[in-house]
Amino acid sequence: MSPEVALNRISPELRPLLCSVVRNGRVGLDSTNCLRVTDLKTGCTSLTPGPCCDRFKLHIPYAGETLKWDIIFNARDPELPPDFIFGEDAEFLPEPSELPHLVQWDAGDPECLLQLVKELIQQYHQYQCQRLRESSRLLFEYDSLLEDPNYSRSMEIYAGHKNSWTGEFSARFLLKLPVDFSNIPVYLLKDTTLDPGEDVALLSVSFEDAEATQVFPKLYLSPSIEHALGGSSALHIPAFPSGGCLIDYVPQVCQLLTNKVQYVIQGYHKRREYIAAFLSHFGMGVVEYDAEGFTKLTLLLMWKDFCFLVHVDLPLYFPRDQPTLTFQSVYHFTNSGQLYSQVQKSYPYSPRWDGNEMAKRQETCKAVEPATIFGPALPRQIHFISI
Amino acid sequence: MAASISSYTFSSVCYHSANSNSDHEGFLLGEVRQEETVSISDTQISSAELLQVVEVHNHEPCAQLFSFYDYAGKVNDENLNRILKDRHKNVIGWYRFRRNTQQQMSFREQIIHKQLTQLLGVPDLVFLLFSFISTANNSTHALEYVLFRPNRRYNQRVTLHIPNLGTTSQQEYKVSSVPNTSLNYAKVIKEHGAEFFDKDGVMKDIRTIFQVYGALQDRVQAVCGEVEQNERVKEKFQEEVNKLKQQIALRKQKSAEEERRLQEAQNPEQRPTPEENSEPPETSLLSRVAFHTPSTPERLGPSANPPSYADLHSLQDDSLLPSLSSPTSAALLPRPQAVGSPGHPSPSPLDGSSSDSLDRQAAGQEEEEEEEEEEEEEDDDDEDSSEYENLVSEVAQLPPVTASVLAQGRPAALSPDGDASVLGSQTS
Repeated sequence: MSPEVALNRISPELRPLLCSVVRNGRVGLDSTNCLRVTDLKTGCTSLTPGPCCDRFKLHIPYAGETLKWDIIFNARDPELPPDFIFGEDAEFLPEPSELPHLVQWDAGDPECLLQLVKELIQQYHQYQCQRLRESSRLLFEYDSLLEDPNYSRSMEIYAGHKNSWTGEFSARFLLKLPVDFSNIPVYLLKDTTLDPGEDVALLSVSFEDAEATQVFPKLYLSPSIEHALGGSSALHIPAFPSGGCLIDYVPQVCQLLTNKVQYVIQGYHKRREYIAAFLSHFGMGVVEYDAEGFTKLTLLLMWKDFCFLVHVDLPLYFPRDQPTLTFQSVYHFTNSGQLYSQVQKSYPYSPRWDGNEMAKRQETCKAVEPATIFGPALPRQIHFISI
Repeated sequence: MAASISSYTFSSVCYHSANSNSDHEGFLLGEVRQEETVSISDTQISSAELLQVVEVHNHEPCAQLFSFYDYAGKVNDENLNRILKDRHKNVIGWYRFRRNTQQQMSFREQIIHKQLTQLLGVPDLVFLLFSFISTANNSTHALEYVLFRPNRRYNQRVTLHIPNLGTTSQQEYKVSSVPNTSLNYAKVIKEHGAEFFDKDGVMKDIRTIFQVYGALQDRVQAVCGEVEQNERVKEKFQEEVNKLKQQIALRKQKSAEEERRLQEAQNPEQRPTPEENSEPPETSLLSRVAFHTPSTPERLGPSANPPSYADLHSLQDDSLLPSLSSPTSAALLPRPQAVGSPGHPSPSPLDGSSSDSLDRQAAGQEEEEEEEEEEEEEDDDDEDSSEYENLVSEVAQLPPVTASVLAQGRPAALSPDGDASVLGSQTS
């Protein structure tokens, strides 16, 4: 059910409360998606003209699960606070005194319901942490993470129900990794069509048994970060070591991610430096270059009255990865009607050179390259164009 | 735990709920009692089962929501007392109605329930949840109700029984033990009750009916006694009859033995042969005797002159006896055609199936009879007496067969298909 449909069907007096939930409602660590509303029903008689819906199901992402809570208002008494049914968690009973937005419910405040839901989630988190006591191993994991200020406040735990037949107990830890994404160049982040929200990296670790012999980690990145780092294939996290524990593993993953981010940031700066150096060296020979991401540069060069274009493609992880040079003729077409071009990757290169050094080296090799590239091709030329 | 609600209380709650345009709640009044059922079975001496029965007699609806609790779900004592007035001790639970929701206790309901349990002092307070579920096009509305026992583990659900709500064809109209709490009813009964009820509160007609029932029981008892006496007298008579029968049989046996001794003394040489060859006709004659004697009990009377012999004399018309009407030689000497003739009855089966052969033999013997009668007309009178004597001798010769045939004749006569192979097998 789209938010608009839900807002149309809800009773007018309750609309502001629901609006803030479906439009701005981001609860918990996974804030990429707003809270979802389904199963809108009414507590009025069937003869009451609509819209008069006053009870619905709220889907809340939590620790990799989706909680489905029933929220019950009364359209005839919209000033009264709602009641809740916590779905399958029938034993979850929060303490009302820990819910200030319930005790001092203000129907006139559109944010009241959202705040109340956040308070309930906090209580729910406490409840799940309490349930970890069924496994001493998992409780140890939790306690050790709690001591680290990096993770203690950014943790969601979902303790599964103990299987009464096998005695197996499972749990999932969802941690927000304290990685700084603020220095990632903006151009990398603005390609996503949707509003990405906060840039966040979440590590989910599922313990399928209480003795931690089957552990499955998974890294979740917000779409912009994932794109900025080169897609999901670019990032592989190590497997959870057997006998290991979260307090050692999580920082490891954190460091890996941080390094990746550093590479990306560094690459950007390095590329900018490279382009700047080329600009200063080749001056008027620059046809065009990517002034935002500094990923491309095109030069028009001449060698012995022979003009040609050189396209330089700088990869994401430059200078670790070597740039690609594409030599393109301005006179000749291939049989398919494209300008004749050839890619060159084997040229002297070292990631340790700075931009100027690279520009100098390119200058030298460009004097030699055209002869070797275009020389053998000349007899085969059929079409001639003039500049 | 078992729970029941009177039908009028249930319908009243439904009425209130259906007519409210929002959620609705109230209290359930009634009583809780313990029922002990003692069952005795073959495997154990006795087992007692204790069942807690909750009965809902009435309900007290709340005028509005949050009437006795605040936003945090904290119950207000004063408001609660104002609603319940002086009926605290009658409260056994509370109820809530909410449309289109799950059949599960909500967060606030659980909070309130815990407090009510403590404030009202009812450890097993129940919670009744009503819900209307409507289809999308509002064509069907279902009223669902669940009775919870929240103070038990896993929020136990109890089946709520509504007396007489069901197919009345399969069960009788049951009077529930829920008392009628209507004041008007009590007033009317008090005014006019003396006409129908006696001082103990029991209807007078019922007492009268019980008296009639008692009288009938007494009469039946008396009749039973008379029947018993008559049965005993009949038993005595039966015993006497049996004794006399035995005496008759003994006497017959003795006289037969005496006759035999006399004959043996007279004719010692010709003794063996007539016995062998005359067996078949004698046995067939005896079979006739066996078939006839049970149906005429008067023949077995303790008369010294046995009518059976007269009857046997009448059997002479059947032409079997004429075969023996020839002088003793006929009884003692075998008839040439008797042995190996097709009409000759087989010795072993003394049954009805051989009746054909007997008839054939009778037919054959009839022809011979006529011949012999012509020859021996003179001896008619003697024939009678000689036949009598022969018959007696025959009976004397085969007393065991008589007894066994008499005994076995009955089963053969009783068998449905007339097959007396039973007889045959028994004799063999």
